[in-house]
Amino acid sequence: MTRFAFYPGCVSKGFCPELYESFVRVAAEFGMELEELEDVGCSGAGVLPAELSDPINARTLAKAEAMGLPLLTICSTCQGVIGGSALRLSDPAHRERVNREHLAEEGLEYAGTTDVKHFLWAMVEDVGLDVVRGKVKRPLAGLGFSPFYGCYLRRPIDVIQRPERKTYLEQVTEALGGTNVDIAGKGKCCGFPTLTINEENSLAMTAKHTGEAVDKGADAMVVPCPLCHLEMDGEQRDAAKAAGRKIDLPILHVPQVVGLALGMDPKELGLSRHLVSTKKFVAQLQPVGAGA
Amino acid sequence: MQITFKFQREGTRAKPVYSEYEMDVDPETSVFDALVGVRETQDGSLAFRGNCSVGFCGDCTLSVNGAQKATCLETVGKTQKDGVIAVQPIRYAPVEKDVMHDVRKFLWDKVNVFARGVVPNGHGPVADEELRPVRKAMRCTTCGLCDEGCTVIDVNLNFHGPAALTKLYRFAFDPRDGVTAERLREGSEVNGIWDCVHCWEATEHCPFGLEPTHLIMETRDRAVAHGVKSGYGNKSAQRHYDSFEQSVEKSGWLDERAVALASYGGLVRGGIRMLPAGLRALRKGKASLKPHHKRPGAREIRKIFERYHRSTEALRKEKQA
Repeated sequence: MTRFAFYPGCVSKGFCPELYESFVRVAAEFGMELEELEDVGCSGAGVLPAELSDPINARTLAKAEAMGLPLLTICSTCQGVIGGSALRLSDPAHRERVNREHLAEEGLEYAGTTDVKHFLWAMVEDVGLDVVRGKVKRPLAGLGFSPFYGCYLRRPIDVIQRPERKTYLEQVTEALGGTNVDIAGKGKCCGFPTLTINEENSLAMTAKHTGEAVDKGADAMVVPCPLCHLEMDGEQRDAAKAAGRKIDLPILHVPQVVGLALGMDPKELGLSRHLVSTKKFVAQLQPVGAGA
Repeated sequence: MQITFKFQREGTRAKPVYSEYEMDVDPETSVFDALVGVRETQDGSLAFRGNCSVGFCGDCTLSVNGAQKATCLETVGKTQKDGVIAVQPIRYAPVEKDVMHDVRKFLWDKVNVFARGVVPNGHGPVADEELRPVRKAMRCTTCGLCDEGCTVIDVNLNFHGPAALTKLYRFAFDPRDGVTAERLREGSEVNGIWDCVHCWEATEHCPFGLEPTHLIMETRDRAVAHGVKSGYGNKSAQRHYDSFEQSVEKSGWLDERAVALASYGGLVRGGIRMLPAGLRALRKGKASLKPHHKRPGAREIRKIFERYHRSTEALRKEKQA
């Protein structure tokens, strides 16, 4: 049994409810015990300046620390931004200042010990790929998945800490019996941060990544970040239009892909909620128990 | 060791047409020196850039075996793959001949936007510690590898890019400079610091560890601290950053609907832009009409904002004084 202080992030509680729901189901299957943190703030998402996001995240980290648990995220942006704060807060002088100026009034103190982990990392490192493999009831054989890490799960190296984490998406897809369809932009930005700022740039990024995946024969794309999902699922129609081409690539959250391989119902995993239809993809799934 | 050197002379990046040359070369030789060797001994018509050959001028950047490199800093032994070294031009600049790119338009012209020298503000001697961040940015050789990795340049060549924005940082953080706010306003125009998507590619690509993405993020924070409202010259950036901040300040977390509407320019413009996808999302149960509520702890988070506003206000007054 592995226990975590669970930080769902704003988007899994907002426009990506299917991420939250599919994750909770999959986590239960893996015996992950979740203590969901309610009294915590938005990570800042790279939008708030560090002077604001560091104290907000220090508060979150302090709460997990008080529970004696690692912090678990299901959003790579939360992961990268809180991880970045945690790295800066490992400097005792900075931590002491944040504690004194912001946390002390509430009686909180962060000692700098909280480990911040994305679900993808926890699945490989705490659950273990052998356990994952052993639970597969519907291998994803014959299906091609383009891994799309986005900005935060591959960089910066001092925040992600372990270089092998740069390949976890591929490792998980293989463990589930699927095939990886590599694309050049898998570690680049999906376009979401600039969607309302420079829409042309944003849609061009989405069209580029999803278009390349389709051209290489992918049946779906796997994303560890709900912001990538909002962009590449929600804006794909406009991106395709702007690029003057057809795309129609289902974008799946990591726990949805895992859940499918574990034999869960696509509807329960929220696949019918996506804006890009997943019907054709779902029709290609094998029946539960086939080849397992 | 025996190496096959392949030079792209025609074709595209995806479908290159190479000329090939065989040469015996010491594995410790730099890739740049080896390329010079090929040109001197086998084909004097080959064109590529290069100058100092010691990692100082940033001129010899090329795509080597598919990865972008400052070629004088890489050895043949470590770079070759199955005895092959294939060179192609970098992707963001137009090619003049073979692998020689036009470095001016998409690198130097952008860097020069921010290259105005220090305008003295009467600051006395500067402590070593105070100059350290500036000195770090000064180590940039403008090799352009950060721009080569940049996600935004990939789709928009007019984005200033991390190399130019590193130059902005170099002057905007100089304690001796008297026109910091002006520089930060210039950098906040369209295609400047607020168009960066902070994907960290630049930081990963910099061969000197200067962390350009970090520098851009710090420059944004400095712009805000200097009273240059986020996205100063880029109204949509300003709306996005301001509404995001207001949402977290008010409720402790993100009110996606409100931020999206505000970012797109208010209820009417935002509503029109978001309506088609919004309706589909509602129908499919991806979005809901539930009102956004305050998070437990919103009061404590609001206090963090209040303290932050007080300290930035104090800094602003100090700068004005």
